[in-house]
Amino acid sequence: MSEVQDSAATDAPAEAPLSVLQRRWRKFKTLKRGWYSFQILVFLYLASFLLPVLVNSDALCVRYQGEWHFPVFGGFHQARDFGQDKIGQVNWRDLQEQYYFEGEDNFVLLPPYPYNPLENLLHESNLVGQPPHAPNAYHILGTDDRGRDVFVRLVYGFRTSITFALGVIILSYIIGMTIGACFGYFSGRIDFWGQRLVEIWSGLPFLYTIIIISSIVKPGMWLLILLLALFRWVGISFYMRGEFYREKSRDYVAAAIAQGESHRSIMFRHILPNGLTPIISFAPFAVVVTISSLVSLDYLGFGLPAPTPSWGELVNQGLENITAWHLVFFPLGAMFFTLLLVVFIGEAVREAFDPKVFSRLR
Amino acid sequence: MGAYFFRRALLMIPTFLGITFLVFTITRFVPGGPIEQMMVKMQMAESEAGGGSGGDFDGAVQIPDSVREELEKQFGFDKPFYLAYLDWVSDVVVLDLGTSYKYRQPVWDIVKSRFPVSIFLGLTGFLLGYLICIPLGIRKAIRHGGVFDFGSSVLIFMAYSVPGWAIGGLLLVLLGGGSFWDIVPLGGFRGDSWDELSTWGKIKDQLHHMILPVFAYTIGSFATLTILMKNSLMENLGQDYVRTAFAKGLGERRVVLVHALRNSLIPICTGLGHALSLVMAGSYLIEKVFNIDGIGYLGYTSIIERDYAVVMGVLVINVFLMLLGNILSDVLYVLVDPRIRFS
Repeated sequence: MSEVQDSAATDAPAEAPLSVLQRRWRKFKTLKRGWYSFQILVFLYLASFLLPVLVNSDALCVRYQGEWHFPVFGGFHQARDFGQDKIGQVNWRDLQEQYYFEGEDNFVLLPPYPYNPLENLLHESNLVGQPPHAPNAYHILGTDDRGRDVFVRLVYGFRTSITFALGVIILSYIIGMTIGACFGYFSGRIDFWGQRLVEIWSGLPFLYTIIIISSIVKPGMWLLILLLALFRWVGISFYMRGEFYREKSRDYVAAAIAQGESHRSIMFRHILPNGLTPIISFAPFAVVVTISSLVSLDYLGFGLPAPTPSWGELVNQGLENITAWHLVFFPLGAMFFTLLLVVFIGEAVREAFDPKVFSRLR
Repeated sequence: MGAYFFRRALLMIPTFLGITFLVFTITRFVPGGPIEQMMVKMQMAESEAGGGSGGDFDGAVQIPDSVREELEKQFGFDKPFYLAYLDWVSDVVVLDLGTSYKYRQPVWDIVKSRFPVSIFLGLTGFLLGYLICIPLGIRKAIRHGGVFDFGSSVLIFMAYSVPGWAIGGLLLVLLGGGSFWDIVPLGGFRGDSWDELSTWGKIKDQLHHMILPVFAYTIGSFATLTILMKNSLMENLGQDYVRTAFAKGLGERRVVLVHALRNSLIPICTGLGHALSLVMAGSYLIEKVFNIDGIGYLGYTSIIERDYAVVMGVLVINVFLMLLGNILSDVLYVLVDPRIRFS
């Protein structure tokens, strides 16, 4: 690490010296496997917010009798208003075909993959037989047992999973850091009784308790995030408590106390930045655990509420129907791919933040 | 030392009470609990019996309040929840976990009959994990940075990225006679004709049925255990006493396997204490995947059916194993590392 500092000092003497965090960030970028994984994951996650225009059953843009419509931005579109011979909402895929055969200058521009995660495709002419359908040219990963497109559910499930994991991590870090910091900083009686309570809380069997609560309240996404965070903060608080115990005996803390700084300022402005290393290098692994938990809960049927596209629910369908291999392979493949990226990031973050140097004699 | 463990054992009690009280309270404030379910059942039975009599019925059959009160009494719902909890705890002390309203049997008997199945599969998988991970970790530490280390790391990353039950499910789809090969049975603990088999046949049948579930348990701890073993050994290999051993002129084999390994096994051994509670945690998923009638599946189904006496019974077993595991790993700590003295 000192090498980086030295070279920075000689190359650009005018530049302000790099902070510890900046140096670690630079180190992280030199670890190619982790850095590329990070870029890929960030790109995919950002791209997943464009899913409504990439993978959706609503047309991007329609021209009918000289008028332009943009159904992808919402609104209810009567089939009759577009010359489609049916009642209710327009089916844009059928409409595209219809306009094509009519040969007038009406047209429909569909997203590249024109299906949405919730629609039942049983009436599609390109699907024969009973669902789940094996992969075919129109539905590259097949359909699930309700005739919904698996590919679409996978990519939307990716967005859900990452958002879910980020939510749980952020929330559990806020809770765990605050509580751990209080235990470590104030120590004494607060710490003693606090630890007893934490012991009870962390003794709750995680999966079992979540299932019980989930069977009762049928949580939505945000409540489920809160529930998982309520279990996940304990580990963070242990790290934080240890760091605070160590750091508070340092001279800079004594100096801050002598200057009359408030407890809050000492805790969060002075000590906290020095105690971040373990919890930052833990974060990617927390993402892995959270996504695994979500898939497990969805598999058991106690995760996200029913029509939400989720990987675990697909796996459950696949294991109920043993011949529908695509319902097991693809979701697990997606999970594997995502978590592998996260593990690579985690390895690199750990290497950058908390390098372990093993010296061997031979 | 004895005093330490005695104190630890006493500290188990408030933890046990705290956890069970939390979950008990949760299950009490539930719509659709056993009373409602019984009422619905009775309503259905009654409306079926009187189904033909009148069409102008507004749906729900009224159950008289007296019946409801009797039901509440039967399930202990006639008291405030803290009194009901006290009743429940005082029964638990004498191993009376109540009666399942679904199976109409004492919960203790049901739990007792399911327990061995889960433990048998789980512990086999867990111990198999140790048998594979320790040598693997040693070899990875010795060949750190080499081809073997890199190659096995790929496997470890894979095992870490997909949970054990999911890999088990994947193999079941591959080998269970779905669209690919038909090598293993679709699930269950043993075959249907178990009782008629010869001893050899029984062994074969058991192995045939347990191979995938056991594999799933093994994979569950595979990655973390191997990495733990590797890092622990690597750390010890950098210590001065290893330098001394080399300086004495001992061979690498002896230094690693006799000197360094003994110290680096300490964190691994203490993990054994938590084997049972880890097995329990994995059993909800793995037993559902393989349709095994163990305690995890029992807990899962009784949550769905709101059979709360059983739900609490499974919880008691869970918490007890967890607390026991804490003490056990302390004991193991002392046994493998004579430097450690608790006081």
